[in-house]
Amino acid sequence: MSAVAVAVGDELPELVLTITRAGIVHYAGASTDFNPIHWSDRKARELGLPGVLAHGMWTMGACLRIVTDWCGSPSAVLDYSARFTHPVQVPDDDQGVRVFVTARVTELVGDIATVAVDARVDAVQPEESGTGNSAARVKVLGNAKAHVRITSDVGAVSSQNAGGAL
Amino acid sequence: MPIGPEHVGRSYPSTAPYRVSRAKIIEFASALGDDNPAYEQHEGPLTAPPTFAAVIAASAWGAMFDDPDLGLSLQRTVHADQRFDVERLMHEGDDVTATLTITKVRNRGATDMVTIQVHLATVQGEPLCTATSTLLNNRQVAE
Repeated sequence: MSAVAVAVGDELPELVLTITRAGIVHYAGASTDFNPIHWSDRKARELGLPGVLAHGMWTMGACLRIVTDWCGSPSAVLDYSARFTHPVQVPDDDQGVRVFVTARVTELVGDIATVAVDARVDAVQPEESGTGNSAARVKVLGNAKAHVRITSDVGAVSSQNAGGAL
Repeated sequence: MPIGPEHVGRSYPSTAPYRVSRAKIIEFASALGDDNPAYEQHEGPLTAPPTFAAVIAASAWGAMFDDPDLGLSLQRTVHADQRFDVERLMHEGDDVTATLTITKVRNRGATDMVTIQVHLATVQGEPLCTATSTLLNNRQVAE
Protein backbone atom coordinates (compact mmCIF):
# COMPACT_ATOMS: atom_id res chain seq x y z
CA MET A 1 0.00 0.00 0.00
CA SER A 2 1.11 3.52 -0.63
CA ALA A 3 1.37 6.29 1.89
CA VAL A 4 -1.89 7.32 3.51
CA ALA A 5 -2.67 10.99 3.17
CA VAL A 6 -4.88 11.96 6.05
CA ALA A 7 -6.88 15.13 6.68
CA VAL A 8 -9.32 16.20 9.35
CA GLY A 9 -12.83 15.43 8.16
CA ASP A 10 -11.85 12.33 6.20
CA GLU A 11 -14.57 9.70 6.32
CA LEU A 12 -13.41 6.09 6.62
CA PRO A 13 -15.10 3.44 4.44
CA GLU A 14 -18.31 2.34 6.14
CA LEU A 15 -18.49 -1.08 7.74
CA VAL A 16 -21.61 -3.14 8.34
CA LEU A 17 -21.24 -5.94 10.89
CA THR A 18 -23.71 -8.73 11.57
CA ILE A 19 -23.99 -10.44 14.93
CA THR A 20 -26.05 -13.61 15.40
CA ARG A 21 -26.56 -15.91 18.37
CA ALA A 22 -23.90 -18.16 16.87
CA GLY A 23 -21.55 -15.21 16.70
CA ILE A 24 -22.15 -14.44 20.37
CA VAL A 25 -21.36 -18.02 21.31
CA HIS A 26 -18.20 -17.82 19.22
CA TYR A 27 -17.12 -14.64 21.03
CA ALA A 28 -18.01 -16.10 24.43
CA GLY A 29 -15.66 -19.00 23.82
CA ALA A 30 -12.89 -16.88 22.32
CA SER A 31 -13.03 -14.31 25.13
CA THR A 32 -13.92 -16.78 27.91
CA ASP A 33 -16.77 -14.45 28.95
CA PHE A 34 -19.56 -16.91 29.70
CA ASN A 35 -21.93 -14.52 31.46
CA PRO A 36 -25.40 -16.08 30.94
CA ILE A 37 -26.91 -12.79 29.70
CA HIS A 38 -25.03 -13.61 26.49
CA TRP A 39 -26.62 -17.02 25.95
CA SER A 40 -29.78 -17.41 28.06
CA ASP A 41 -32.93 -15.37 27.44
CA ARG A 42 -34.23 -16.67 30.76
CA LYS A 43 -31.20 -15.46 32.70
CA ALA A 44 -31.18 -12.14 30.87
CA ARG A 45 -34.86 -11.51 31.68
CA GLU A 46 -34.32 -12.39 35.33
CA LEU A 47 -31.97 -9.41 35.39
CA GLY A 48 -34.54 -7.15 33.74
CA LEU A 49 -32.96 -7.27 30.29
CA PRO A 50 -35.07 -7.79 27.17
CA GLY A 51 -33.16 -10.89 26.11
CA VAL A 52 -29.73 -12.14 25.09
CA LEU A 53 -27.25 -9.34 24.44
CA ALA A 54 -24.06 -9.27 22.44
CA HIS A 55 -20.93 -8.74 24.52
CA GLY A 56 -20.08 -5.05 24.73
CA MET A 57 -16.49 -6.05 24.12
CA TRP A 58 -17.51 -7.81 20.91
CA THR A 59 -19.09 -4.60 19.67
CA MET A 60 -16.11 -2.52 20.70
CA GLY A 61 -13.59 -4.98 19.26
CA ALA A 62 -15.42 -5.65 16.01
CA CYS A 63 -15.99 -1.93 15.38
CA LEU A 64 -12.27 -1.22 15.66
CA ARG A 65 -11.86 -2.99 12.35
CA ILE A 66 -13.11 0.15 10.58
CA VAL A 67 -9.95 1.84 11.86
CA THR A 68 -7.47 -0.99 11.32
CA ASP A 69 -8.82 -1.76 7.81
CA TRP A 70 -8.19 1.89 6.99
CA CYS A 71 -4.74 2.31 8.53
CA GLY A 72 -3.68 -1.24 7.67
CA SER A 73 -1.89 -2.17 10.84
CA PRO A 74 -3.45 -2.75 14.25
CA SER A 75 -0.06 -1.77 15.70
CA ALA A 76 -0.80 1.82 14.64
CA VAL A 77 -3.57 2.02 17.25
CA LEU A 78 -2.24 3.87 20.30
CA ASP A 79 -5.44 3.90 22.32
CA TYR A 80 -9.11 3.06 21.91
CA SER A 81 -11.99 3.95 24.20
CA ALA A 82 -15.77 3.76 24.24
CA ARG A 83 -18.79 3.87 26.50
CA PHE A 84 -21.37 1.10 26.27
CA THR A 85 -24.44 3.26 25.84
CA HIS A 86 -27.03 0.85 24.46
CA PRO A 87 -27.06 -2.94 24.53
CA VAL A 88 -27.16 -4.89 21.27
CA GLN A 89 -30.05 -7.30 21.67
CA VAL A 90 -29.75 -10.31 19.40
CA PRO A 91 -32.87 -12.35 18.60
CA ASP A 92 -32.78 -16.12 18.16
CA ASP A 93 -33.09 -16.10 14.38
CA ASP A 94 -30.82 -16.62 11.38
CA GLN A 95 -30.52 -12.98 10.37
CA GLY A 96 -29.03 -11.54 13.54
CA VAL A 97 -28.52 -7.83 14.00
CA ARG A 98 -26.59 -5.44 11.82
CA VAL A 99 -24.26 -2.87 13.34
CA PHE A 100 -23.61 0.13 11.11
CA VAL A 101 -20.17 1.55 11.69
CA THR A 102 -18.88 4.87 10.41
CA ALA A 103 -15.79 6.81 11.38
CA ARG A 104 -14.08 10.07 10.61
CA VAL A 105 -10.83 11.80 11.36
CA THR A 106 -11.55 14.56 13.86
CA GLU A 107 -8.05 15.77 14.71
CA LEU A 108 -4.53 15.49 13.42
CA VAL A 109 -1.59 16.43 15.62
CA GLY A 110 1.76 15.65 14.06
CA ASP A 111 1.46 12.05 12.89
CA ILE A 112 -1.30 11.15 15.38
CA ALA A 113 -4.84 11.08 14.02
CA THR A 114 -7.93 11.01 16.23
CA VAL A 115 -10.62 8.83 14.69
CA ALA A 116 -14.17 9.06 16.04
CA VAL A 117 -16.16 5.86 15.58
CA ASP A 118 -19.95 5.74 15.40
CA ALA A 119 -21.79 2.41 15.76
CA ARG A 120 -25.56 2.07 15.51
CA VAL A 121 -28.23 -0.59 15.36
CA ASP A 122 -31.80 -0.35 14.14
CA ALA A 123 -33.96 0.87 16.99
CA VAL A 124 -36.76 -1.57 16.24
CA GLN A 125 -36.59 -5.33 15.99
CA PRO A 126 -34.92 -6.49 12.77
CA GLU A 127 -37.97 -8.32 11.44
CA GLU A 128 -39.94 -5.06 11.54
CA SER A 129 -37.30 -2.71 10.34
CA GLY A 130 -36.98 -3.50 6.65
CA THR A 131 -33.77 -1.93 5.46
CA GLY A 132 -33.90 0.55 8.30
CA ASN A 133 -32.97 4.16 8.06
CA SER A 134 -30.46 6.17 9.99
CA ALA A 135 -33.12 8.18 11.85
CA ALA A 136 -34.40 4.97 13.45
CA ARG A 137 -30.98 3.83 14.60
CA VAL A 138 -29.53 4.13 18.07
CA LYS A 139 -25.93 4.52 19.05
CA VAL A 140 -24.49 1.50 20.80
CA LEU A 141 -21.10 3.03 21.57
CA GLY A 142 -20.68 6.47 23.12
CA ASN A 143 -17.73 8.72 22.40
CA ALA A 144 -15.84 5.87 20.75
CA LYS A 145 -12.49 6.99 19.47
CA ALA A 146 -9.01 5.80 18.68
CA HIS A 147 -5.71 7.56 18.31
CA VAL A 148 -3.73 6.19 15.41
CA ARG A 149 -0.14 6.80 14.38
CA ILE A 150 -0.05 7.63 10.70
CA THR A 151 3.18 6.58 9.03
CA SER A 152 4.21 6.60 5.41
CA ASP A 153 4.35 2.82 5.38
CA VAL A 154 1.22 2.21 7.43
CA GLY A 155 -0.47 -0.81 5.93
CA ALA A 156 2.79 -2.67 5.49
CA VAL A 157 3.91 -2.84 9.10
CA SER A 158 1.54 -5.45 10.46
CA SER A 159 3.72 -8.47 9.80
CA GLN A 160 7.09 -6.72 10.06
CA ASN A 161 6.41 -5.05 13.36
CA ALA A 162 5.82 -8.32 15.14
CA GLY A 163 9.00 -8.32 17.20
CA GLY A 164 9.32 -4.71 18.25
CA ALA A 165 7.64 -2.12 20.34
CA LEU A 166 5.61 0.46 18.47
CA MET B 1 -19.19 -1.66 54.46
CA PRO B 2 -19.59 -1.23 50.71
CA ILE B 3 -16.84 -0.06 48.45
CA GLY B 4 -16.05 3.64 48.85
CA PRO B 5 -13.51 6.30 47.96
CA GLU B 6 -11.27 5.01 50.76
CA HIS B 7 -10.55 1.97 48.59
CA VAL B 8 -8.98 4.02 45.80
CA GLY B 9 -5.40 2.86 45.36
CA ARG B 10 -6.07 -0.69 46.47
CA SER B 11 -4.20 -3.12 44.27
CA TYR B 12 -4.13 -6.88 43.99
CA PRO B 13 -1.34 -9.36 43.32
CA SER B 14 -0.57 -9.92 39.65
CA THR B 15 -2.27 -12.83 37.95
CA ALA B 16 -0.35 -15.95 37.01
CA PRO B 17 1.32 -15.59 33.60
CA TYR B 18 -0.95 -16.09 30.59
CA ARG B 19 0.75 -17.47 27.48
CA VAL B 20 -0.64 -15.80 24.34
CA SER B 21 -1.08 -18.60 21.84
CA ARG B 22 -1.32 -18.65 18.07
CA ALA B 23 -4.56 -20.62 18.25
CA LYS B 24 -6.19 -18.13 20.64
CA ILE B 25 -5.26 -15.14 18.47
CA ILE B 26 -6.78 -16.83 15.42
CA GLU B 27 -9.90 -17.81 17.38
CA PHE B 28 -10.35 -14.33 18.86
CA ALA B 29 -9.88 -12.48 15.56
CA SER B 30 -12.29 -14.90 13.92
CA ALA B 31 -14.89 -14.20 16.63
CA LEU B 32 -14.52 -10.50 15.86
CA GLY B 33 -14.94 -11.23 12.16
CA ASP B 34 -11.63 -9.49 11.56
CA ASP B 35 -9.40 -10.89 8.83
CA ASN B 36 -6.55 -8.41 9.24
CA PRO B 37 -3.38 -10.15 8.01
CA ALA B 38 -1.67 -9.44 11.35
CA TYR B 39 -3.99 -11.95 13.02
CA GLU B 40 -4.02 -14.63 10.34
CA GLN B 41 -1.82 -17.57 9.55
CA HIS B 42 1.56 -16.41 8.34
CA GLU B 43 5.15 -17.17 9.13
CA GLY B 44 6.43 -15.65 12.33
CA PRO B 45 4.54 -14.70 15.46
CA LEU B 46 0.97 -13.45 15.09
CA THR B 47 -0.19 -10.17 16.63
CA ALA B 48 -3.23 -10.15 18.91
CA PRO B 49 -6.06 -7.67 18.21
CA PRO B 50 -5.89 -4.59 20.50
CA THR B 51 -9.03 -5.55 22.41
CA PHE B 52 -7.64 -9.01 23.20
CA ALA B 53 -6.17 -7.20 26.20
CA ALA B 54 -9.67 -7.28 27.72
CA VAL B 55 -9.55 -11.07 27.94
CA ILE B 56 -6.44 -11.10 30.12
CA ALA B 57 -7.50 -7.96 32.01
CA ALA B 58 -10.76 -9.63 33.01
CA SER B 59 -8.80 -12.48 34.57
CA ALA B 60 -7.61 -9.94 37.15
CA TRP B 61 -11.15 -8.90 38.10
CA GLY B 62 -11.74 -11.97 40.24
CA ALA B 63 -9.47 -10.82 43.06
CA MET B 64 -11.44 -7.58 43.42
CA PHE B 65 -14.84 -9.26 43.28
CA ASP B 66 -13.65 -11.77 45.88
CA ASP B 67 -12.44 -8.99 48.22
CA PRO B 68 -14.83 -9.20 51.22
CA ASP B 69 -14.23 -5.53 52.09
CA LEU B 70 -15.91 -4.28 48.93
CA GLY B 71 -19.22 -6.13 48.69
CA LEU B 72 -19.08 -6.30 44.88
CA SER B 73 -20.81 -8.93 42.79
CA LEU B 74 -20.01 -9.68 39.18
CA GLN B 75 -23.63 -10.74 38.67
CA ARG B 76 -24.84 -7.28 39.67
CA THR B 77 -22.22 -5.44 37.63
CA VAL B 78 -22.61 -3.64 34.32
CA HIS B 79 -19.62 -2.67 32.19
CA ALA B 80 -20.09 1.05 31.48
CA ASP B 81 -16.99 2.02 29.57
CA GLN B 82 -13.65 0.70 28.46
CA ARG B 83 -10.35 2.18 27.40
CA PHE B 84 -7.13 0.62 26.14
CA ASP B 85 -3.81 2.44 26.16
CA VAL B 86 -1.42 0.35 24.13
CA GLU B 87 2.33 0.25 24.67
CA ARG B 88 2.71 -2.56 22.22
CA LEU B 89 0.27 -5.17 20.99
CA MET B 90 0.62 -8.64 22.39
CA HIS B 91 2.21 -11.30 20.25
CA GLU B 92 2.06 -15.03 20.15
CA GLY B 93 4.43 -16.37 22.78
CA ASP B 94 4.16 -13.44 25.20
CA ASP B 95 3.74 -14.44 28.85
CA VAL B 96 1.47 -11.76 30.29
CA THR B 97 0.48 -10.85 33.82
CA ALA B 98 -2.35 -8.53 34.83
CA THR B 99 -2.33 -6.23 37.85
CA LEU B 100 -5.52 -4.51 38.94
CA THR B 101 -5.73 -1.21 40.82
CA ILE B 102 -8.89 0.60 41.92
CA THR B 103 -8.51 4.19 40.68
CA LYS B 104 -11.87 5.85 41.33
CA VAL B 105 -15.00 5.10 43.35
CA ARG B 106 -18.23 7.10 43.40
CA ASN B 107 -21.36 6.02 45.26
CA ARG B 108 -24.63 7.14 43.70
CA GLY B 109 -27.62 5.84 45.57
CA ALA B 110 -27.55 2.06 45.30
CA THR B 111 -24.96 2.15 42.53
CA ASP B 112 -21.22 2.02 43.03
CA MET B 113 -19.27 3.41 40.09
CA VAL B 114 -15.88 1.75 40.23
CA THR B 115 -13.05 2.61 37.86
CA ILE B 116 -10.24 0.08 37.65
CA GLN B 117 -6.98 0.01 35.78
CA VAL B 118 -5.44 -3.29 34.80
CA HIS B 119 -1.80 -3.09 33.77
CA LEU B 120 -0.69 -5.84 31.44
CA ALA B 121 3.00 -6.58 31.18
CA THR B 122 5.24 -9.42 30.13
CA VAL B 123 6.82 -11.51 32.85
CA GLN B 124 10.06 -9.74 31.85
CA GLY B 125 8.43 -6.46 32.91
CA GLU B 126 7.76 -4.93 29.51
CA PRO B 127 4.53 -2.88 29.66
CA LEU B 128 1.96 -3.92 27.05
CA CYS B 129 -1.36 -2.24 27.73
CA THR B 130 -3.41 -0.49 30.37
CA ALA B 131 -7.06 -1.51 30.27
CA THR B 132 -9.28 0.96 32.14
CA SER B 133 -12.88 0.01 32.90
CA THR B 134 -15.76 1.67 34.67
CA LEU B 135 -18.05 -0.86 36.31
CA LEU B 136 -21.47 -0.08 37.76
CA ASN B 137 -22.23 -2.33 40.72
CA ASN B 138 -25.78 -2.41 42.02
CA ARG B 139 -25.78 -2.99 45.76
CA GLN B 140 -28.28 -5.42 47.23
CA VAL B 141 -31.30 -3.41 48.31
CA ALA B 142 -31.87 -4.91 51.77
CA GLU B 143 -29.35 -2.67 53.59
